[in-house]
Amino acid sequence: MSTRARQRDREIIDRYTDQPSRLPAPLRAEIEHSFGDRPVELYCHIDLDASLNLAESWLALGPERVAIATRAPGGGWDIAHIERSRIREVRENSGLSCHVLSLLGLAGDPPLAVVRYTHRQRRAADAIRFVLQQSLAERDVPVGDGDDEYADAVAGPIREAQALVAGTDTAIILRLLGYLRPYRRQLAVGMSAAAAVTGLSLIPAYLAGYLIDRVVGRAQSGAIARDAAAQIALVCVGAIATAYALRSLFTWVRLRFMAYIGEYVARDLRTAIYEHLQLLSLSFFSRKKTGSLITRVTSDTDRLWEFLAFGIVDVSLSAVMLIGLGTVLISVDWRLGLVMTLPVPLLCAFIFLHGRRLEAFFLRAWRRWSRLTDVVSDTIPGIRVVKAFNQEDSERRRFAERNLAAMSQFNEIHQVWTRFWPALMLGIHCLTVAVWVLALPRLIGASAPQLSAGAFVSFLLYSTMFVGPIEVIGQMARVMNRATSSAHRIFEVLDTEPEVVDRAEPVRPASLDGRVTFDDVWFGYDVARPVIRAMSFDVAPGEMVGLVGASGGGKTTIANLIARFYDPVAGAVRIDGVDLRELDTGWYRRRVGMVLQEPYLFHGTIADNIRYGLPEASLDQVIGAARTANAHDFVCRLSHGYETIVGERGQTLSGGERQRISIARALLHDPRILILDEATSSVDTETERRIEEAMHRLIAGRTVFAIAHRLSTLRRANRLFVIEEGRISESGTHGALMANPESTYRRLVELQRELRQAV
Amino acid sequence: MLLHEKSRSSSARIAAQVVERPRLERHSDGSLVAWQGGEATPVRPVRCFPWSRPGAYISLRDERQREVALIHDPAELDPGSRAALEQAMAEAGFVLQVLRVVEVDEELEIRTWKVETRQGARTFQTARDEWPRPLPGGGFLVRDVAGDLYLIPANGELDARSQRALWAFID
Repeated sequence: MSTRARQRDREIIDRYTDQPSRLPAPLRAEIEHSFGDRPVELYCHIDLDASLNLAESWLALGPERVAIATRAPGGGWDIAHIERSRIREVRENSGLSCHVLSLLGLAGDPPLAVVRYTHRQRRAADAIRFVLQQSLAERDVPVGDGDDEYADAVAGPIREAQALVAGTDTAIILRLLGYLRPYRRQLAVGMSAAAAVTGLSLIPAYLAGYLIDRVVGRAQSGAIARDAAAQIALVCVGAIATAYALRSLFTWVRLRFMAYIGEYVARDLRTAIYEHLQLLSLSFFSRKKTGSLITRVTSDTDRLWEFLAFGIVDVSLSAVMLIGLGTVLISVDWRLGLVMTLPVPLLCAFIFLHGRRLEAFFLRAWRRWSRLTDVVSDTIPGIRVVKAFNQEDSERRRFAERNLAAMSQFNEIHQVWTRFWPALMLGIHCLTVAVWVLALPRLIGASAPQLSAGAFVSFLLYSTMFVGPIEVIGQMARVMNRATSSAHRIFEVLDTEPEVVDRAEPVRPASLDGRVTFDDVWFGYDVARPVIRAMSFDVAPGEMVGLVGASGGGKTTIANLIARFYDPVAGAVRIDGVDLRELDTGWYRRRVGMVLQEPYLFHGTIADNIRYGLPEASLDQVIGAARTANAHDFVCRLSHGYETIVGERGQTLSGGERQRISIARALLHDPRILILDEATSSVDTETERRIEEAMHRLIAGRTVFAIAHRLSTLRRANRLFVIEEGRISESGTHGALMANPESTYRRLVELQRELRQAV
Repeated sequence: MLLHEKSRSSSARIAAQVVERPRLERHSDGSLVAWQGGEATPVRPVRCFPWSRPGAYISLRDERQREVALIHDPAELDPGSRAALEQAMAEAGFVLQVLRVVEVDEELEIRTWKVETRQGARTFQTARDEWPRPLPGGGFLVRDVAGDLYLIPANGELDARSQRALWAFID
């Protein structure tokens, strides 16, 4: 585990839970002292007491002893010890939210210890249980760093549920802005244009006041000649027109440049995240939902485009605009200026609070909306069941009820915002009225100081410009929130380190013979649940090995380890005697092929799918591979031949047809090591025969690992491994295993035979 | 076949699968043991309807998750067996019971709840699309990201602050 990952896990525990992020140091010292200065290897927090109340206790595992520390009534800790040699059995009972771990001694004796804890502590407690159980079975298991195991176990579920990256929201925004660096010149143009738009917006109002006071008023009073006034007026109107025209020009420059920059950055982020996704290990994909990852590449980058293209500029220029307007208003007339500007922060706060209030309404609406969409996503795929059980009416009623609930909630939202905005406008208009009330006596000369009509008109025009920026500033928190949440989700992917990485100078041998050796391999997706336990075998080049056994035994995991989708926790997988971790993964994977139970065909033509692993393959090679895979005939029956577009996941073809295309793909890839994972399990007998023929040609001269439930498909295997609970329980040829009356393999074959006869 | 005949015959088939009533004992290590035909099997009680009928339909399962017996109603058991079952059920059916909701905070993809439960104060997280599930007998159930369950009483039984904090999440 990297230092950063460890640190992140501790931060998660500190921030999100009520429990310590590690065993308190004084307690650890006390326990280790009581262990005779031996280390605490693993530990877990015990958060329930015997009466099932929340409590703080700790269970610590040492090399010879187990300690249970409970809070003493007067502070400090009471530490009880159990010699590991006295433990005869470790038992765990699981309930809805309570697990009970019992350490048992001799039969009939009271238990040595019983501890209770919630699900949150289960993974850490499981690690201790597993080590104790393995030790009882006299098996050594590798134990990692106790602090890391605990932090990973407790923080894991929270980490997996949320995109978490180290750093504050400000740091995230700054990091995001860092993506603008390559486009700083365009950014400077865009921002300057935006600043020019803001500056130019102020000119017409100023000129309007100037025209009224200095031109219209003076001309009417005869202070200047009408011709001269007309000339000055013409210049002013021309200046106003120019200001509007320039404003439009700069608006265009700003929109165009910023929109483009937004697109550039969104493209860069999409590329970065997609390229990084390709590097990540399978375990990352099993932790995250596919939908969530797709959203990150698509919607989140799109949302960031909006923020970068418009959000940043709008927010910063609105702030500048508000300050500028306030300054101008106060400089035109400070009394009226203060009446207009002082309430501005209050108005921004109202908009912000309104946004916060609406969040709760939106959450409620979202919940009701998901209840509504649940009905649709439930019944449309299951429409045959709905019809078969004649439940159309009840489904209609269920939908109508939820539809009504969703609608009424949306109407509540409309009620809130439709009330708010007119009220806000009324508030702003009240300010305008207040300005009129204060200005009129001064305009008509009833009170001092006098106010000119022109200055007042400018003032009124400026005050109408307040509304837009106030709205933007009020919404700023929401805009920033949306952007940081998207940025978090993207950076989480970018910050995830691939678990399978090549060495600095990986080995790239001249050729690959195909010898596969498992050397005391341990592997588990979860520390406490090893899927492969101390497995060793050696498969010679060109040998075909059949992997059989019940589901969940570890057969697919063996295939995943051979393909180096994962690295073993302990031991080594060797290819031609070289540790797989030493080899260049890209070089190696070009020599490994897989045919899976659910062959995945990409959207594209059949030819593209066949040459997926070898894009430069010629058409002759494509046809050759298809012939060998028994696919050529059915492809020729399709009206577009090899150029038939197969839909998403190849839905336009039958299961057997898709499988034969995937065999052709594997043939063209020409791997030295071939993995067949339940390749014929989902097809009918005739198709199976055709696939088997194709498979027979495919496996010739390669090292093959074939996983199959239908044991008859493994007739050609040189050896069979029966996999049970992560171990090879039996191995040998079909004949040798069948000759042993006690063998699991023989029992499985007979069971299948009986089943077939019964059918 | 008439509908009621069909229903009667399927009930008969289902009833035939019900296992004989066992005698239950709770051992000092906390395990529950079912005695049937002179044979003792360590079992774990599982409520078939934990929210609508928590006290009935209890399936006793052995270590390999096979059903040893189905208790329709613990009242049918002898007093000793009933007491043993109830003790075991307290742990097996344990969930945290919320008394007060202090705060519900929305974050990126998770929601953080600060609550006071009958068992003590607790902070937990749920996925943002994980909504409290209404229970047949009133009240709501929330599952946190680690899998722990929290029982929230019906809205009327909570104080005003808790009701405000929960407003967006329950009807």
